[in-house]
Amino acid sequence: MAKENQAALTIQEEFAKKIKAENRREKIIKWAPVLVLLALIVVFTIARGSAFASVSNLVAILNQWAIPLIVALGLTFVIMLGGIDLSIDGTVGMAGSIASVLVMNTLNDNNFGIFGIIIAILCSVVVGFFVGLFHVKLKIPSFMVSFAFMNICTGIAYLSYSGTPATVSDPVLKALPKVSFLGIPFITWVALVMLLLCIYIQEYTPFGRYIYAVGTDETIPRSVGINVDHVKIKVFTLAGFLFGVAGVVGLIRLGQGQAGIGKDLMFPAQAAVVIGGTSLSGGKGGVLNTVVGTLIMTVLINGLTMMGVNPNIKTGIQGIIILVAVILTTKRGATVISK
Amino acid sequence: MKMRKLAAFALSTVMAVSTLAMTAMASDDWKSFKIDPAQIPQEKLDTTLSVACSIRGLENPYINTIKVGMEMFCEYLDSIGQKYEMQVLDSGGSNDTEINNMKQFAAKANGNAIAYSDPNESAICTALVEAMAESGGYIGTAWNREEEDTVTDYDPNWVIHTSPDNVVNGEAIATALFDQMGGKGQIFVLEGMLGNTASNDRVAGLQNALEKYPDIEVVAQDTANWATAEALTLVETWLSQYPEVGGIWCANDNMATGALQALENAGLKGKVGVVGIDANTDIVEAIAAGDATATVSSNGYLQGGYTLAICYAAWAGLIDPAELPIEYREFATPATVITSENVEQYIADYIDATPEFDFSEIWWCKAD
Repeated sequence: MAKENQAALTIQEEFAKKIKAENRREKIIKWAPVLVLLALIVVFTIARGSAFASVSNLVAILNQWAIPLIVALGLTFVIMLGGIDLSIDGTVGMAGSIASVLVMNTLNDNNFGIFGIIIAILCSVVVGFFVGLFHVKLKIPSFMVSFAFMNICTGIAYLSYSGTPATVSDPVLKALPKVSFLGIPFITWVALVMLLLCIYIQEYTPFGRYIYAVGTDETIPRSVGINVDHVKIKVFTLAGFLFGVAGVVGLIRLGQGQAGIGKDLMFPAQAAVVIGGTSLSGGKGGVLNTVVGTLIMTVLINGLTMMGVNPNIKTGIQGIIILVAVILTTKRGATVISK
Repeated sequence: MKMRKLAAFALSTVMAVSTLAMTAMASDDWKSFKIDPAQIPQEKLDTTLSVACSIRGLENPYINTIKVGMEMFCEYLDSIGQKYEMQVLDSGGSNDTEINNMKQFAAKANGNAIAYSDPNESAICTALVEAMAESGGYIGTAWNREEEDTVTDYDPNWVIHTSPDNVVNGEAIATALFDQMGGKGQIFVLEGMLGNTASNDRVAGLQNALEKYPDIEVVAQDTANWATAEALTLVETWLSQYPEVGGIWCANDNMATGALQALENAGLKGKVGVVGIDANTDIVEAIAAGDATATVSSNGYLQGGYTLAICYAAWAGLIDPAELPIEYREFATPATVITSENVEQYIADYIDATPEFDFSEIWWCKAD
């Protein structure tokens, strides 16, 4: 009897020990992205000193951070579901291009002002809704549907200005890239507002909790009566909204509407979300992880540019650092690596 | 027997000398050659000629001007009473599509065809020419071909190959920029896609100019992949590192647009020189406003229209490509460097109006 008790205690103790060790590991993993970010900042500051750590470069980094952050926020929810959204390059370019031909511009006589911007974002919201709808109702993998929509949206973007990109001439939009408040550029404020919105959705709404539940194992929320399909469609629609905002921010930044606004945003955004600690298998991570992930990507590209690395090897170095960051920051040992 | 040999020798000598004399004379005369509609047989004028331009896609403003050049040449055909059919062969940037388009076009026209072609890649240039040569039609190519390819490989159907000179253009805009900077100071360099021939040649032109201006220092150089957004990000980062920069050299105008926006955001627009290539409308207007320094127009109207005019002269039997001196078949087309000095004129001629050409003087399009 006593022996049995002792054995039971040992098992309990062992279990508690294991849990403690796992918690400790989780804590380290949780803070790993922040450590990677700090390491990058330290390395670049040592290498480039005052130029990297200068106020003007800080503003440049904030400017370059805005669009990747907004895009990655939208993608974070999709990845938390266990899905993927490849439509980014197209929807962002489309929203920027449509907005450019609706506000006061050099190509036509339109001048819808703020309504032009709202229409452009709505177009992107509709695309997000359709991606979700086709994915859920027709049971097509999200990456396939969103890939198709990337092409459709790029086509719409080309069509909207047919060959000659429109330059914005609206005085307010033109002035915005130079506007800053508390030293932070306007477009970064837009990104921060989107960040607050996403934190609110994730932390303080039932919808936010459902996303985790669906991402972890969708049979459980389904069995308690949550409409999983609606959650998924809502997530893709929310992503569409954020991609639309990113397109308009891209237009403000560039001063010219073109499909190129969205070019090559998608994979860096995926990388940022994963480096931040959101798991591709769904159910884990979140908005704050993405903040760190996008900062890592932005600081990395900015720093490498400043180092004057030979362009022929720069992309390769960038890839190696991303790989190292992923190795350091993602939790391994899970049975499902990605899906 | 001896007499005969002697006579034959004398005769052949005379023939050789006179042929030499003729070609020597001809070589000087070709530049002023004019299509004389009276010399074109009525039978040819009544044949429906298929006219095409084979291009990458009309979404690019420059490529659109090639199509317009073809339309302008067709108006000329109307004026001399030539029957024709016009077609745009759009490859959408695909090698296969471009070859298939050309094969179908040539086969349908059965030898009564002329075409302008901008091969999507150098490697497919001869495939396009071959498609046309098999049917007996006439083709002129521009920009891309493999180094070992020459028009004489497909006599007489490959009539001409032309290209603006990227090295010269890269040097010309660099020189304009350096002169504006007073011959000294720091510059940023934005290259096109790495490994792209046009980008490499333009950068080689920049190097030539740098050798002549030893006080110009390249403080930052990278590729922005021909893209506006990437150019903006690079220049933004570099500006915080080198606020004293005096000029930005861009391998095309799309990137110059991004560079200008970065300067605008930093409050430096108009204080730092910017140059590019392509004569995009926004850059031409920036030159007029004093914000950009120079760009280059490759004149797509001229490329499209005159290439077809020379092919037409060959099809109508007015010239025999096989007998032409090589410098009239492989040559550089003129490019206009646009700076503050001629920008008003350029806007008046090419942006506010479409230019006019006399397509009967077919070699007017030759640069030298």
